[in-house]
This record gives sequence, structure tokens and C-alpha cells, in this order.
Amino acid sequence: MLRKRIVGVITVKDGWAVQSMGYRRYLPLGRPEILALNLDRWGADEIVLQCIDRTSTQAGPDIAMIERVAQKGLTTPLIYLGGIHTAQQAVAVVHAGADRIAIDAMLTDEPSQVHEIEANLGAQAIIAALPLSVEPAGLMHRNYRTGALAPLSDTVLELMSKRIVSEVMTIDWRNDGGTAFDTRILDTFPLADIPLIAFGGLAGADQLRGVLTRKSVVAAAVGNTLNYREHAIRHLKKALGDLPIRAPSHERRVDH
Amino acid sequence: MKRRTIGIVDYGVGNIGSLERSLSALGYRCQTTSNPETLAASSLILLPGVGAFPTAMAALHDHDMVGFLQERAQSGQPLVGICLGMQLLADSSDEIRETSGLGIIPGYVTALENADWHIGWNTLEAASSDPLVRPSDGRTVYFNHSFVLRTSPEYVIGVARIDQGMTPFPVAIRRENTVGLQFHPEKSQAAGLQLLTDVIEGLCRAA
Repeated sequence: MLRKRIVGVITVKDGWAVQSMGYRRYLPLGRPEILALNLDRWGADEIVLQCIDRTSTQAGPDIAMIERVAQKGLTTPLIYLGGIHTAQQAVAVVHAGADRIAIDAMLTDEPSQVHEIEANLGAQAIIAALPLSVEPAGLMHRNYRTGALAPLSDTVLELMSKRIVSEVMTIDWRNDGGTAFDTRILDTFPLADIPLIAFGGLAGADQLRGVLTRKSVVAAAVGNTLNYREHAIRHLKKALGDLPIRAPSHERRVDH
Repeated sequence: MKRRTIGIVDYGVGNIGSLERSLSALGYRCQTTSNPETLAASSLILLPGVGAFPTAMAALHDHDMVGFLQERAQSGQPLVGICLGMQLLADSSDEIRETSGLGIIPGYVTALENADWHIGWNTLEAASSDPLVRPSDGRTVYFNHSFVLRTSPEYVIGVARIDQGMTPFPVAIRRENTVGLQFHPEKSQAAGLQLLTDVIEGLCRAA
């Protein structure tokens, strides 16, 4: 049966992997390709390379960075997020070594280009990355360029309901860098049947269990805390062994 | 032991670099090309693929690869299609619009039943005693697709199912020296690399 995934996230700013706290303060961690290699060796189910300064600087996707990471010979699927504005850029990202792409601003800025990506790469390659929070007025989508909060737009909802994107990364931006994830984001998400990847503030096994036991959640993405313990993913998987997750790669489990 | 050469079909589709690096790490020499002579001289031809079926078939036609791949399969040269590359081995697909495939393995490509996508790690279940896939029975490998190749059971050597109790669907097929793998062995960590080795070595020994 299909497993739920534990995804390692590498946040990159100015070409360096950083620890992010609420996308406001950053601590340098090192070279992204080295962190990617660690996550690959530790058995992450997917790796997200999140370049957070590419859209605001209009620099486009960091192709050189993707190539540097890919050249490490990862055997873990790589997802790239950051600066993609056109279908041509999305295809270039995949040619450079990513297996899937995640997009945010493009969903509202260039929905026609999202359709173009689907035609070229297939919807299974596209993830919608949505910074979200639950406010008194309900679930809000944050425009990270302006800081404005608004309900999910009809355009974004349509891309999801028409299956132009395959999964949604629900980013709890308020808790990014912290030690909690607001599960109300998952419970109030307006589309019940789109697979969700929970991200932001997830740290220990108990928190991961709290999101992964929800039917709509197919993956939990973890950032900062993976960098402070050798084989962090293996330890998490061991603690979550009763859930339908992939066993560490040296183990075999037949379930048919 | 003489190093085997893997000819990777370069027709402008997908992330070929990951395959090259995985094969090189396994000790194979890679030639990524659309040159028929180079591909024909390799120990095994590998057909990768990402994206939509009609776009990929159009690209194969543009690179004059369709007749060539059909001829190489018929001649018995080992041929492996990965992900969309497996689907291209079929007679046709209804993805976006009805499109003819390579017709190397009888069958048609159609959308998954009961699911929009099959994304993530899933168990590979051996469906026959075929030695290429049998050693990987029960291993988890990485999938990323929404269409599936429907073919006769005689060609099916591996299946997967999205949930317990659901009908399994083909994810590994074989007809003589042609094999299709719906998953990404190059992105399936140790389990995938072992399977890739088993498939390449098994096919090359059989040829």
C-alpha cells in the first residue's frame, strides 16, 4: 500500500541553507548540497529544496543550485520551490535535476502557465505551496511578498479542484521555526480530497503523528530540526513505526 | 568483468541526469544520445520519460526513434522503459487524446482507477517467477504517475496497489528482452538500485 512520507526541507537564502524562524530571522546552516546528501543517506522519502529569495528578487529558479544538488547523485526524489514564474522555467528545473516542482506566487500571478506546466510535465509533478494561517475570519492565504492575508482565491481553488496540481503543501508560516503546527489549517482546508503535505513547526514524532494520522495528509515535511541529529529521519521513522510509513531502506516489509 | 554500456535515449524529455548518475554509481558506462548507431552498440537501451504521453511520442518521432526502437526490440537487444518510458512501450494511450505508442508490448495506457495519482513510496509485488523482479518482492519503490499500462497478464511481472483491498495494477512488465518499470528505480534508494542492477544484468545475460 502507498506509504505516507516524511519529507526533509532545506531552506535556502542567498545560496546558503538556513534555519528559518517565521521567515523573519535566519541562521546559516551550510551548503545546501551537503544537507541534501545527508537527507538522502538518512532515508528521507522526498527532499524539498526551498529557495526563499528567488521570487522577491525576480531571479527565477536557481538552476545552478539544483544542478549542484543533483550532481551529488541523490537517490531520493527532489522537489524544487522558488522563483518559478513560467512553464519554461519549470521544465528547466526538471531538466536540471528536480523530479517535481512546487509553486506559490505563480498560482495567482500566472494560472495559464500552470496549465502549460501540466501539459509538459503532468499534474503529478506540480505541488501548490500555500503559506496559510487560521485567523478569526477563517483560513487565510498569505502573500509573502506583501504580507497580506486573504482567503484562498477562486483561481487557486480551481487549480486544485480541477487537479491541475496534484498535492498541496500547507505551510504554517506563523509557526515556521517553532515547535508546533496549527492542525486547524488541515481541518479547515476547503477541499477535502486533495492530498496535503503539512509543513511548518513540525518537530518531534508526536507532532508528526498528529498530522500523519489525518486522512487528507499524505506527507509531513520537516525542516530545521533534521539538522541537529545524525540520522534524524531514521529516528523519526522508528518512533512512528506503527503508522503506514516506509521502513528504513534496509528493511523489508511485505503487506500483501 | 567488462563494463556494460547503457545507451540512454536522449529525446529531450525529463530528468536524465539522475539516471546517468545512478547507473554510473552502479559501475555502468552511460551514453546519452539519440544517435541510433551508438544506441544499437550499447549493451542495453534505456528509455526514460517524464510528462505527457502525446508530447513524449511526438519527441520520439522528431528524433526518428520510433522505428529504431521497434527494430531494436524485435532484434532482441535489451530495452528498458522507465516511468513514462514504460507506457510508451504500449500500443496506445488515451492521455489527453488518443495517441499511438511504440507497440512493443501489447496494451493500452489509461487513467488509474479509484485514484487521481499514485505518488510516493509503495510496495512492489512480484506477479510471476520472473527473476528480474522476484528478488525485489516486498520492497518499496518511488512512484509518480496517474496513468497505467493495461496489458495481458502474461507480460506482467510486478504489480502495486494503492490501498489494501484495491485491485492491483501493472507496474513492471516484460516481453522477451523488453522491460517496463512504472516506478523510478533511480529515485528509490538502495532498493531501487538493487532492482535496477537485477534488471540490467538479467536482461544482458538473457540477450
